[in-house]
Amino acid sequence: MFRQHPTLRYITARAGWYALTFLVAVTINFWLPRLGEANPVDTLMARVSGSMDAQAAREREESYLREFGLVQTDDTGKILRAADGTPLRTSILTQFLRYLRMSLQGDFGRSIVQHPRPVSDIILTALPWTLALQIPALVLGWFIGNGLGALAAYRRGVLDKVFYPVALLVSAIPSFCFGILLVYIFGVQLEWLPTLGGYDEALNPGFNAAFLSSAATYYILPFLSVFLLVVGGQAIGMRSMCIYELGTDYVRYAKLMGVRESTIVRYMFRNAMLPQLTGLALTLGGMVGGALIAEMVFSYPGLGLSVLTAIQSLDYPVITGCTLLVTTCVLVANFTVDILIGFLDPRIRAAREGEA
Amino acid sequence: MIRRLACAALTLALLLGLSGCTPSGKRATDEFPRHETLRIGIAWGEPNTFNPLHPAPSWPVQQEHTVIYQTLFYFDPEKGTLLPQLGSELRLFPDRIEVDIHEAARWHDGKPVTARDVAYTFNSLYRINPGFPAWQYLSAVDVVDATAERPRTVAFRFRAKDPNPLMVQHWLTLNAILPQHVWEPLLAAAKGDFNELIKHKADQNPIGSGPYRLHSYSAEKIVAERFDAYWGNAALHGGKLPAPRFLIAPVYKSNDHYSLALQQGRIDAANTFIPRIWLKARKGVRAWFDEPPYFPPACMPTAFINHLRAPLNDVRFRRAMAFAINYDDIRELAVSGYSVPHEPGFILPFGVEKRYFNAEDAQRVGTRFDPTRAREELAAGGYRGVFRDGELIETRNAAGERVPTLFIQCPAGWSDWESMVRIMVRGMRTVGIDVREQFVDSTAYYRALPLADFDLIIATPSPVPSPAEPWARFDFVLNSRDWAPAGERMFTNMGRFNRPGSPEYVARFDELLARIPVVTDEAERAALYRELNRLCMEVQPAIPLVYRPKAFYEFNEKVWAGFPTAANPYLPPTVPSQGAGTLMLWHLRPAGGSGP
Repeated sequence: MFRQHPTLRYITARAGWYALTFLVAVTINFWLPRLGEANPVDTLMARVSGSMDAQAAREREESYLREFGLVQTDDTGKILRAADGTPLRTSILTQFLRYLRMSLQGDFGRSIVQHPRPVSDIILTALPWTLALQIPALVLGWFIGNGLGALAAYRRGVLDKVFYPVALLVSAIPSFCFGILLVYIFGVQLEWLPTLGGYDEALNPGFNAAFLSSAATYYILPFLSVFLLVVGGQAIGMRSMCIYELGTDYVRYAKLMGVRESTIVRYMFRNAMLPQLTGLALTLGGMVGGALIAEMVFSYPGLGLSVLTAIQSLDYPVITGCTLLVTTCVLVANFTVDILIGFLDPRIRAAREGEA
Repeated sequence: MIRRLACAALTLALLLGLSGCTPSGKRATDEFPRHETLRIGIAWGEPNTFNPLHPAPSWPVQQEHTVIYQTLFYFDPEKGTLLPQLGSELRLFPDRIEVDIHEAARWHDGKPVTARDVAYTFNSLYRINPGFPAWQYLSAVDVVDATAERPRTVAFRFRAKDPNPLMVQHWLTLNAILPQHVWEPLLAAAKGDFNELIKHKADQNPIGSGPYRLHSYSAEKIVAERFDAYWGNAALHGGKLPAPRFLIAPVYKSNDHYSLALQQGRIDAANTFIPRIWLKARKGVRAWFDEPPYFPPACMPTAFINHLRAPLNDVRFRRAMAFAINYDDIRELAVSGYSVPHEPGFILPFGVEKRYFNAEDAQRVGTRFDPTRAREELAAGGYRGVFRDGELIETRNAAGERVPTLFIQCPAGWSDWESMVRIMVRGMRTVGIDVREQFVDSTAYYRALPLADFDLIIATPSPVPSPAEPWARFDFVLNSRDWAPAGERMFTNMGRFNRPGSPEYVARFDELLARIPVVTDEAERAALYRELNRLCMEVQPAIPLVYRPKAFYEFNEKVWAGFPTAANPYLPPTVPSQGAGTLMLWHLRPAGGSGP
């Protein structure tokens, strides 16, 4: 059947590879944090054990180990013990199998540090903020950056001479530095814009003018901190790509043939855009990771803080839940672009049809 | 097309920018008007649960915080006294403490708070809480006037072995009393399983007995609203209401943000660490003192020493290390100068503990920064440092063998502790002790600490304000009641000092620790403390490094005025929701200014 449908075969093959990648990534994400000697219960115990005697500390620790499934229990929930009375630890493999079983049922467990919050609750309350900050900044930044880059390459002159060094500078600043600079200039020195949080503390979120205008004001700096970097980075890439395309035979030939300028730019743009599109996929995929920085610098609501605390204190379920999210984002974005490029790029399309 | 898009974006940004420039004063649309709201920088992390039985719940339900759930007494660390809260009176007997519940005390639903609630809280809820520390010191909690219609007196009976009235009082200031009529059905629904019970978030109109109730919460902030029918307003505050209608704890993502928000007047009080606080004074940020040390020091970060490892089990080697440390450098460089000059021993030479401190002993047997004495102690123990071109190569012991390099451990990124360790290392290497820094991931640190997987490690004994100080500090460092070998966990005396049955065992330490809590004669108690502190200075079981505040306390009087300070010390320096600091809610007054 695939013989007659090269496109379908292409998509299925790609999907297969992505599924495999996904499985490997999930496995690694699960095992890596659990390989060290330390475990989250030690961190929890340090927080709550103040002036506990040995007996009390043991009771509390075992209660935690049982709650988080880190020790083996019998059917009644009693902890199984070795001959010397120490609880038998659950092997990582058993934990992994249980995790897979629970995940398939949509249950990602409860956070250890933010106990008793379910991981899904942590992610779902934070994700809208992360997406609302990142997607517009990345997508808008991508379009504007590429537009400006192409323009600079084609027009050259003053625009290019000013724009290119500025873009180079902006994209070379590490994103946390850029964020801190914005906070310092606009928040601390000028006090023009709020730099902390997602909206005024005098409000609760709701669909009303007060909240929306407050949220919009608080949005500006975090948005700019992501947006400007994306614009700078994309513009540089696009400019180089366009300059390269300008020197190619087809552009020169088209010019000699007297093809209209706007048509040439359109052809050129389409060709130069392909690598940039792949870049967009990677950026969108890395969104959750990148969100961390903007959110931490501006105390902006979102996943950042939860991810950071989880990693710092080995909160296994949250780490696994968030890395699952990142993995999914990266893979879905890449898969989409793979497919899109398959349609957009005539060379790939031709190769595929040739195979058939 | 692209240009049009860019134009649109620019216009949008400009518009948004303009709306941000409008001055934010009193706006009719505000749900929590700024002039009626006290904002406190205290919520570390997103709210997880408001269940007071949970070991680590969110503000304002966590230990010491008493705006929703109340304890029997407050503790005032500046005066060393208990202040009434739900309990109106405390009577000390040789075998028990009796507490009277205030006759006006009511739950938020109007039902009276009775001695039965107290007994139920301890006997049922805290009893099934695995490892609940108060029960280490109690044998029973019972209602004294059980036949009364509304019993008001409850007895906390000590354990027969090692009775400890000090620690029982300590727990009475920390453990919230909960309403039996609310928690009994919840416990039944959880089938008596504590792990199930603490999954209940208690976030829907929870019933407590305090001056505020939980209003709402999100990942960005927690809001408590004044409960105008609070029983204490009439009974304890002459009919006055707490000044702020709302208490809000915003969730920021780092220390610096609380500091920044405090400078901007966006929050009114905080307990965050603010480096170089004198630079923030011109923005209105103030602390307990307006000059160094800014915060009243109250606890002692200490280098715990692993007594199971040679040569650390040698008192001469330990004293040599203690003599080699420049305590002034630690005070000035590692902790922003938020401290006062250091004296040897485990008793604070100022404040409430001053009456137990003996300057003569400290002068005679204590270890201060003195490299010459450090070298003398080393030489007397047969140790010597091998130097080449002024650089220490190794340390050799009396048998001429190389002593393995020792490491001082602390969590990476805890910059004040890291600085302390660097100063220790520099001092010790100068006198010939081969020691190095060991900065590890905090999870590794938490693992190593109770297992004794360290040479030296930094930790703070007894970090909560307590009527049991300084006993609790000594006990944390010295007690050998639960002595366990390395590899098993000990959450006090992590250095495994004073193993019972070993040749070096000094029974006097444990005798003194058992005796001090039960003596009633103040002169005798002072004598016992003096002896204990002198023994500590002689044996050097661990090295106290510097005095630090137990909690930081800063405020900005842009929106609210009347915060207690050293010049106006009507309450101790804790944020207004924590311990006795809660009482300042009735004393604050609007300052007339408006913060952002």
